[in-house]
Amino acid sequence: MAHFDTEYQRLEASYSDSPPGEENLLMHVPEGAKSQWHHIENLDLFFQRVYNLHQKNGFTCMLLGEIFELVQLLFVVGFTVFLANCVDYDILFANKFVNHTDSSKVTLPDAFLPVDVCSARIRDNAFVIFVLIISGVFWLHRLVKFIYNVCCYWEIRSFYINALKMTMSELPYATWQEVQARIVEIQKEHQICIHKKELTELDIYHRILRFKNYMVAMVNKSLLPVRFRPPVLGECVFFTRGLKYNFELIFFWGPGSLFENEWSLKPEYKRGGNRLELADRLASRILWIGIANLLLCPVILVWQILYAFFSYTEVIKREPGSLGARCWSLYGRCYLRHFNELDHELMSRLSKGYKAASKYMNCFLSPLLTVVAKNVAFFAGSLLAVLIALTIYDEDVLAVEHVLSSITLLGVCITVCRSFIPDKNMVFCPEQLLRVILAHIHYMPDHWQGNAHRYETRDQFSQLFQYKAVFILEELISPVVTPIILIFSLRRKSLEIIDFFRNFTVEVVGVGDTCSFAQMDIRQHGHPAWMSEGKTEASIYQQAEDGKTELSLMHFAITNPQWQPPQETTHFISQLKERVHREATGAPSDTNPLSLSESEPRSLIANILGPSTLTSVHFGRDSSLTNHAAAGINDGASALRSLSPVSSSLHLRGSLSAAHRAAGHTSAMSKGMAGSGTDARTVSSGSSAWEGQLTSLVLSEYASTEMSIHALYMHELHKQQSRGELSRHTWHRQDSDESSDSVPDEVRSEPNPHSRHFPRSHTFPTTVASPSAIPTSASACATGSTTLGQEGASSQSSTQRRFSGSDSFGAGGKAVRSARVPMGGWAEDGQAAPRHHDPLPEESSEDDMPPHIHKVT
Amino acid sequence: MNCRSEVLEVTVEARQVEEAMLALLHTILLHRSTGKFHYKKEGTYSIGTVGTLDIDCDFIDFTFVRVSSEELDRVIRKAVSEFKDALSNSGSDGMGQISLEFYQKKKSRWPFSDECIPWEVWSIKVNVVNLANEQERQICREKVGEKLGEKVINVVEVINRHEYLPKMPTQSEVDNVFDTSLKDVQPYLYKITFQITDSLGTSVSTTMRRLIKDTLAL
Repeated sequence: MAHFDTEYQRLEASYSDSPPGEENLLMHVPEGAKSQWHHIENLDLFFQRVYNLHQKNGFTCMLLGEIFELVQLLFVVGFTVFLANCVDYDILFANKFVNHTDSSKVTLPDAFLPVDVCSARIRDNAFVIFVLIISGVFWLHRLVKFIYNVCCYWEIRSFYINALKMTMSELPYATWQEVQARIVEIQKEHQICIHKKELTELDIYHRILRFKNYMVAMVNKSLLPVRFRPPVLGECVFFTRGLKYNFELIFFWGPGSLFENEWSLKPEYKRGGNRLELADRLASRILWIGIANLLLCPVILVWQILYAFFSYTEVIKREPGSLGARCWSLYGRCYLRHFNELDHELMSRLSKGYKAASKYMNCFLSPLLTVVAKNVAFFAGSLLAVLIALTIYDEDVLAVEHVLSSITLLGVCITVCRSFIPDKNMVFCPEQLLRVILAHIHYMPDHWQGNAHRYETRDQFSQLFQYKAVFILEELISPVVTPIILIFSLRRKSLEIIDFFRNFTVEVVGVGDTCSFAQMDIRQHGHPAWMSEGKTEASIYQQAEDGKTELSLMHFAITNPQWQPPQETTHFISQLKERVHREATGAPSDTNPLSLSESEPRSLIANILGPSTLTSVHFGRDSSLTNHAAAGINDGASALRSLSPVSSSLHLRGSLSAAHRAAGHTSAMSKGMAGSGTDARTVSSGSSAWEGQLTSLVLSEYASTEMSIHALYMHELHKQQSRGELSRHTWHRQDSDESSDSVPDEVRSEPNPHSRHFPRSHTFPTTVASPSAIPTSASACATGSTTLGQEGASSQSSTQRRFSGSDSFGAGGKAVRSARVPMGGWAEDGQAAPRHHDPLPEESSEDDMPPHIHKVT
Repeated sequence: MNCRSEVLEVTVEARQVEEAMLALLHTILLHRSTGKFHYKKEGTYSIGTVGTLDIDCDFIDFTFVRVSSEELDRVIRKAVSEFKDALSNSGSDGMGQISLEFYQKKKSRWPFSDECIPWEVWSIKVNVVNLANEQERQICREKVGEKLGEKVINVVEVINRHEYLPKMPTQSEVDNVFDTSLKDVQPYLYKITFQITDSLGTSVSTTMRRLIKDTLAL
């Protein structure tokens, strides 16, 4: 049969694969775990690490940075001990002679003590040993932490490389928004989070900032005891890292804390039933932690000193002026932080405001000190001049004992004095500066506006923006003060805390328990005085103060244009954006000729402010003709209008993000161009250039500007609204006050020289009282409601805010002034007007006065 | 936590505890088990068959379906009887919770041990009541039967949703996803734990672990 050589052959089928009888079975192909990144156990920690690694610019940078820190620590301790114990200073200062055989030169090694003497000295000194032990423990702790971190972050590194497809070298140049977009992208593929098919930006933010949002909300609702009135110092804020650590220990993760684990509150705290018992338990826990703090106080103190020494010596050495410089205080950071704002966003915002803030603080130099400083500087300067002249003539002068040191000392003295002498060319325009600051920091109490020139405002601002030296000092005394605060102050608030966590915790699918404020839901937490009138259903207890919900929402929507908010929220955002756009572009330009002549932006904010203050002057002067409310609006409007380049950026950004969502890129562009004339310049740089990587960067840069505008706009509207609520007879006076404050110096000099002194002397007999009625002081709240009609305008507007939220909506009076209001929706002002006289002492004082227990169940 | 959690609550008489728990646990496991995988050379596999079995309860008017695997049944029975004993020994109010946790293992590098990451937790809360007379027992018998029927439908609804399940593993990884120790059936890796009384306080050890972890964290 061999010759039948056909092409037919027996098929070599894969029978061998399956045992006989199983041919008909279904075959499956396992997907396998293609990546190890599906279903991550602790997403909170995971996202935090991803974020940290991004902020630390990649693995290598982080690794090197930490290694060097460890080495530095060793070096500082070793070197300090060596200097203190092993150097014979007599030889260095040539009080003692060394007998050298060959030469008379003293060498450095001569000054070192022999090793055995040295070690004996160290051994005998108990304090040195104590310090050495503590720093040894400290160092070991850092070392262990370092090793642990390396292991953890190695994993994150491979996540970046394998899952996100980003190499470590490109990480420093990628924005967080890009990283986040990729995470959202890969969720679809890998299912990092198993609850949902898709992650949103808000989910990631919630997880990273879960506890921080709680802290921000607690500071916002004045729940944490950080304001004190010690007898001598007056009102002050004390909030240090040690205190913050303790708060977090008590609330979030310490033994027996309110949280079961990182993502869920213990179930018993979610039920209202046994709140008293839980409050008791919390109080006793706080007591124990306070006592533990008290006992550990000496150790913590030494630790703090070492820590301060190690962290700041290097800074002081590098730039000696930095101690005098200011920094944003810890309290300030909590107060100014939006809900859902990451560290880097906050820091960049605050850094932008730094310059203006320090300028503002420098406006308030004491004239007395200036006079003294000028004279001290004069004498020191003349001595210095003589010494330097002599030295130049003959350098042997330097060899005279102490000449060099006195030259140095005199130099330092002059530098110090100079810091007390104001710059000759600097002008005093606090109101302007405060607005620049506001554009960046986004939050300020109502009563600051119009009172920027007052010392009280400055003092309060300094609570947010303190001297670095004070900051360090506070850190140093913190171990002693913290237990006292815990035991005597926080403990009394335990019931409020329990209530707070119960009322303001929501469980979000796929995220766990989060602070409900962080949901940024206008309906639940909006404040009627901040543009969410009519939309909010929040009681006073539920409202976030200072328009935090609204501003946070805007901030989040602007920084994350891809985010799809819920329906009503979208409505709110688009409405507000539209308003701002309209104000920014649509208004006529004749009211502020100055602003347009300066269309080239030196600094953006100078443009915001210059014209706005001008118009307010303008309107202020003939205020008899103009309704003030209208002036207020024009004020805000012109501020926005004057930002021609910014408004163009606004349009550009809007159009770009629109283009992101939909395809119509070019049409959106042209729409943006139609907005204002100056658009062309910005857009002409080529729509193609905006593609890809650049886009997000550009967007995020413009985002901060856009947010600044929105923040200013919202504050303006808010001010205007609360002012609108005043009764008719006060607006006139307030107006003149306002205008005189905001006059920039150059302008003030010629047109109306005495307008500045005018309100202080006669018309405003009560203005002195008004700062004391600042709502943060407890007494003011009581008086505020009774003396409302006669008080200074500023205090009224602030008390107004508190009342405006009460639910007594029914008694709607007629709108006092509604004709000139260009944008709808503020007719409610009139309704709110009669509400001042409602005696609502408990509720009204609630937001600013610490010790009140809310009977909310 | 990155895992789904479902809670079922039942109120039963003391003698019904065992059967009720078995009914629910077996129902869940029935849907969370597959036949044994037989891997082939080219990275494919075929799935073996799983038999089912109807079980009639003695103290409840109820019949449930379970996987016909004696080994699996033995494991579950052991856990449930431990739970029952603990519950009857506790004396007090007769509240307890038994949870069935499905997890997958993740290999870690050297310094860390393998992680067991749960992806679905079923908690069954049991409330034990005492009945006075035979008539009430009769009523209870029927009622519990109905209730269990509802729960079973509940379970099936949850399982029918398209939600995260671990991906089908390759041969080398099969131990990370499935419990391969049984001869005739292959359920997802599971763990049964129970707790008597309602207090869900964190134990000291977990707190300590978190304290250490937190100090180590950056």
